[in-house]
Amino acid sequence: MSAEQSGSSTAVETPASGVMERFSYDDRIVRQFILATLVWGFVALLLGVFIASQLADWRLNFGISWLTFGRMRPLHTNAAVFAFAGNGIFAGIYYSMQRLLKTRMYSDLLSKIHFWGWQAIIVSAAITLPLGFTIGKEYAELEWPISIAITVIWVVFAVNFFQTIFKRRERHIYVAIWFYIATVITVALLHIINTIQVPVSLWKSYPIYAGVQDALVQWWYGHNAVAFVLTTPFLGLMYYFLPKAAEKPVYSYRLSIIHFWSLVFIYIWAGPHHLLYTALPDWAQTLGMVFSIMLWAPSWGGMINGLLTLRGAWHRVRTEPILKFFVAGLTFYGMATFEGPLLSIKSVSGIAHYTDWIIAHVHGGTLGWNGFIIFAMVYWMVPRLWKTELYSVRLANVHFWTGFLGTLVYIISMWVAGITQGLMWRAVDGTGRLVYPDFLETVLKIVPLYYVRAIGGGLYLVGFVIMLYNIYKTVRSAPADLKDDVVSAPRLTRNTIENLGKTPHRMLEGLPVVFSVLTLVAVGVGTMIEIVPTFLAADYVEANPLLKPYTGLQLHGRDLYVREGCYLCHSQMIRPIPSETLRYGEYSRAQESMYDRPFQWGSKRTGPDLARVGGKYPDLWHYRHMMDPREVSPGSIMPAYPWMYRDKTDFAIIQKKLKVMKSLGVPYTEVEVRFAEQQAREEAKLIADQLVAQGAPKGTEEKEIIALIAYLQRMGQDFKKGLIQ
Amino acid sequence: MSKSDDNDPNRKKSTQDSLESQPHHLAGHTYDGIDELDNALPRWWINLFYITIVFSLGYFSYYVMGDGPTLVREWEIDRGEQEIAQLSKPAGLKSVTEDELKLVLKDSTRKLAGQAIYQSKCISCHGAHGEGGIGPNLTDDHWIHGGKMTNLVKMVTVGVLDKGMPPWGTILKQNEIHSVVAYVKSLRGTHPAGAKAPQGDLVEQ
Ligand code: HEC
Ligand code: HEC
Repeated sequence: MSAEQSGSSTAVETPASGVMERFSYDDRIVRQFILATLVWGFVALLLGVFIASQLADWRLNFGISWLTFGRMRPLHTNAAVFAFAGNGIFAGIYYSMQRLLKTRMYSDLLSKIHFWGWQAIIVSAAITLPLGFTIGKEYAELEWPISIAITVIWVVFAVNFFQTIFKRRERHIYVAIWFYIATVITVALLHIINTIQVPVSLWKSYPIYAGVQDALVQWWYGHNAVAFVLTTPFLGLMYYFLPKAAEKPVYSYRLSIIHFWSLVFIYIWAGPHHLLYTALPDWAQTLGMVFSIMLWAPSWGGMINGLLTLRGAWHRVRTEPILKFFVAGLTFYGMATFEGPLLSIKSVSGIAHYTDWIIAHVHGGTLGWNGFIIFAMVYWMVPRLWKTELYSVRLANVHFWTGFLGTLVYIISMWVAGITQGLMWRAVDGTGRLVYPDFLETVLKIVPLYYVRAIGGGLYLVGFVIMLYNIYKTVRSAPADLKDDVVSAPRLTRNTIENLGKTPHRMLEGLPVVFSVLTLVAVGVGTMIEIVPTFLAADYVEANPLLKPYTGLQLHGRDLYVREGCYLCHSQMIRPIPSETLRYGEYSRAQESMYDRPFQWGSKRTGPDLARVGGKYPDLWHYRHMMDPREVSPGSIMPAYPWMYRDKTDFAIIQKKLKVMKSLGVPYTEVEVRFAEQQAREEAKLIADQLVAQGAPKGTEEKEIIALIAYLQRMGQDFKKGLIQ
Repeated sequence: MSKSDDNDPNRKKSTQDSLESQPHHLAGHTYDGIDELDNALPRWWINLFYITIVFSLGYFSYYVMGDGPTLVREWEIDRGEQEIAQLSKPAGLKSVTEDELKLVLKDSTRKLAGQAIYQSKCISCHGAHGEGGIGPNLTDDHWIHGGKMTNLVKMVTVGVLDKGMPPWGTILKQNEIHSVVAYVKSLRGTHPAGAKAPQGDLVEQ
C-alpha cells in the first residue's frame, strides 16, 4: 500500500474530484520509435527474404563467412523480434500508456536513454552476429556484453514505466496496462535467467547450464519470448488501438480478466513442448504438452474479445485498411494459437518437429499477427502524431492485400514442405526399411517450395515498402511545428475503500504494485516447478565417471560449430521414434550432452541429425564436404565453408576455455589445463597427417577445419563405445 | 473473478428492460475514450477451457502419475514390430551365388540401374569413374576384401565403418546392391584418369 501512496504522493487532500492539472504527452519519443520500427522492419524482412533465398539456392551464401546462412539467420530473427516488433511495441506502449494513465512519461530522459540504448543494442547485434559472436541459443544469441546492456536498458524502461504508473491520473489501470506489466516483468526474468554466462573473452562465453538443463532453460526462455514479446504486449496494444480505431467499446471486461490471468499463468509452463521426445525427463515433457493444450482457450479469449469488439463496425472493415489489418491479425493469431497446442501433442510433434511446419507456424504468428498489428497501429498513429492525414488509403489497402497474400503463400508452402518431409522421414516399408534412407532426397523434394516461400516473403516485403512510401509521403505533409498538445485532467486523490471499486479485481486495478506482484507470482510458479528440479541434477543426469569431456581441440571445434550456426540446420538429438533410430541409430541419452555448453540439440533439420555422425565418414570426407558439400553430396543445399581452410585456429585461447569449463565443474585435470595448447596442437597434427595420408593437401594442422573435424568425429562416440547405457 | 460488478445496479436494469439485450457500458470504465462492456463469457469458450483442463489432468495422471507407457517404452514396442518385419522379410540375408551375379553382369538394364545408384551414392568416395578418392580405386585388379562378386556384395552390404565405407544394406535393397556391384565389376580395366594407386591384393581372374 505504501508504494501506492507514494504514487500519488503529490496529491494533497482534496475533494473527490481532485485538482485539475494541465500537462502534455511525450509524442516525440513515440515518433522516434515508429521511425525505428519502420527502418528495422525493412531490414528484418529483407534479411528474411535473403535467407529464404539462400535455402532455395545455396550459391547465395557467396562463400563469404559473414553472409552465410548460419550467421544471417540469427540476425534475421533478432531483427524481427527485438528490432522490428520490439520498437513497434515500445512505440505503441509509449503512445497508449500516457493516454490510458493520463500522464506524461515519468522521465523524458529515461525515455531517451531507452530509445537510443535499444538502437545501440540493435546496431551492435547487426555487427557482432555476422562476425560469428554468438551464445548459440536461439533468440538469445547476443554475447555477454550486449546481453548485459539489454538488461540495463530494460531496467531503465521498467523504472520509467512503473514510475509513470505511479504518477497516473487514472485510478484504475486498463487491461492494456495489465498486459504491459506482465511483459515488463517477465521479459526481465526470462532474459536474466537464460543468459547467465561465464566469459572466456570479450566475445565468447559459456552458459552456466549444460546439456539437458541448458535445453530446458533455453526453451523456457524461447517459448516465453514468444509469449511475452510477441503475445502479451501485442494483446495490450490490440486492447488500446482496436477499440480506438473501431470506435466501439471493448466486448467483455470479464473475458479480459479471465483470459489475462489464465494466459499469464499458463504460458510460462509450456516451454518443454519444444523438447518433446528429447532426453528431457518425461514428466517435464508431459507438463509442457498439457499446459500448451490448456493455453488454447486463454489465447482465443484475446481473439474473441477483439473480434467481438468490432460488432457493429464490420461494414467499415471493407473500406478501412486499419480494421482489415486488425481482423486479419486477430484471425492469424487465433490460427497460430490453435496450431500451437496441436503441435504440442506428442504424436503430432513427432511428425512436425524439426520440419518446416514449425517455420510455417512461427510465420503465421509473426507475419500475420505481429506484423499486421504493428501496421494497423502505425497507420493509426502516424497521421495523429504528425498532425496530418494519411497520404493514401488506397495504398494502405494495397499493402494489406499484398501482405495478406504473401503471408498465405509463405505459410501454405511451408506447411506442405514440412508435412511432406516429415512423412518422408518416417516412411518405412513392409520389410522394416526406410523408404527414403537418403536424407538429401527428402531435402531436394522440398527445394521448389523454398522458392515459393521466398516469393511469399518477397510479396510481404513489397507490401511493407508500399507502406514506407505511404508513410514517407504522409510525414512529408506534416506541419513544421509538432508541439505536443496540452491536455488536462484532475489530479488523482488518495485511494479509499469507496473509490477503489467494489469487486476484488476492480480494487486490484487500483493497486498496480499488488497487481505486479501477483503477476510475478503467476509467472513464478511454473518457472519454479519446472526449472528448480534441474538444479538437482542427479535426478536429471546421472554422473558417469566413464565419460571424458571434450579434448581442447574438440571443444574449440565445437565453438566453431556454434559460431557458424550449424545448429540452425542440424539437430543433435535422436528421438525414440522407430523410423528415426533406424536412420540415425539409438536415441540420444541425456548423458551424451552433459558437457555441452551451450547444448546444441537444435530445432530444425534442414540437414540430417549429427548426434552420432562421429566415425560415420572418414576425415577426408568431412574435409571435402565442408569445402564444398556438393562435391560429396550432389545437390546439397548446405553452404560451403572455405574460410575455415584459410583461417588459423586460435590455439592460445584453448587453455582459457578449459579453465572456464573446469570452473563450471567439467572434470578437466590440472595437467590437461596446463598443457591444453600443446595437446591441442598435437591432436591437430595427428588429424592433419592422417588427412594427408588419405590424399588431402599438406599444411592444414593450424587451420580451423581440423578443429571442426575433431569435433564432428567425436560426436556420438561415447555411446558407440558403450560408455553410456 | 468472473462475477465482477455483479452488484452493479445498472446491470439488472439493462437485462430487464432492453429487448435487444445490449449490455451496458460499465460505469467508470472509460479510459482515453475507450469504454468496456460487461458481456458474459461465451459459453462455448468457457466449455472449451474446461475440456482442455479435464483432458490435461487425465493425461498427466495417466502418463506421469499412473502407469502409462513412457516414450522410450512405446519406442521399444514399435521397434520390436519393426524388427519382426525385418526378420520375416530378410532383405539382406538371402545368399546369392557367383553364377547368379554373373547373370546380372550380362543384363544391361540392371547394369544401367546399377550405374544410376553408383552415381548417386558412391561417386563421392570412389570417384565418378571408379578411379577412387576417399575410397579405393574400383577399376583395377587389386581388392582389399576379395575380388569375387560375392565378396563385393558382402562388402557393400555390411561396409567397413571403421575405414569409412558405409554399410548400404539398410539403405539399398538386395537386388539394387547386386546391380551396383555388377556395374562396379563392369568398370574393370577402364583405366580412368587420375586413378588412385592400387590397394589390397592382386586378384587373378
Ligand atoms: C543451410 C543449412 C545447413 C547448414 C547451415 C549446415 N548444414 Fe550441414 N548439411 C545440410 C544438408 C542439407 C545436408 C545433407 C546433404 C549433405 O550431405 O551435404 C548436410 C549434411 C551435413 C553433414 C553430413 C551428415 C551425414 O550424416 O551425412 C555434416 C557432417 C554436416 N552437414 C556438417 C555441418 C556443419 C559442421 C555445419 C556448420 C559449419 C553445417 N553442416 C551447416 C545443411 C546445412
Ligand atoms: C563415405 C565414403 C564411401 C562411400 C559413399 C562409398 N564407399 Fe565404398 N569404400 C570406402 C572406403 C573408405 C573403402 C575402403 C574400406 C577399407 O579400407 O576396408 C571402400 C571400399 C569399397 C569396396 C571394396 C574395395 C576393396 O578394395 O575391397 C567396394 C566394392 C565399395 N567400397 C563399393 C562401394 C559402393 C558400391 C558404394 C556406393 C553404393 C560405395 N562403395 C560408397 C568409402 C566409401
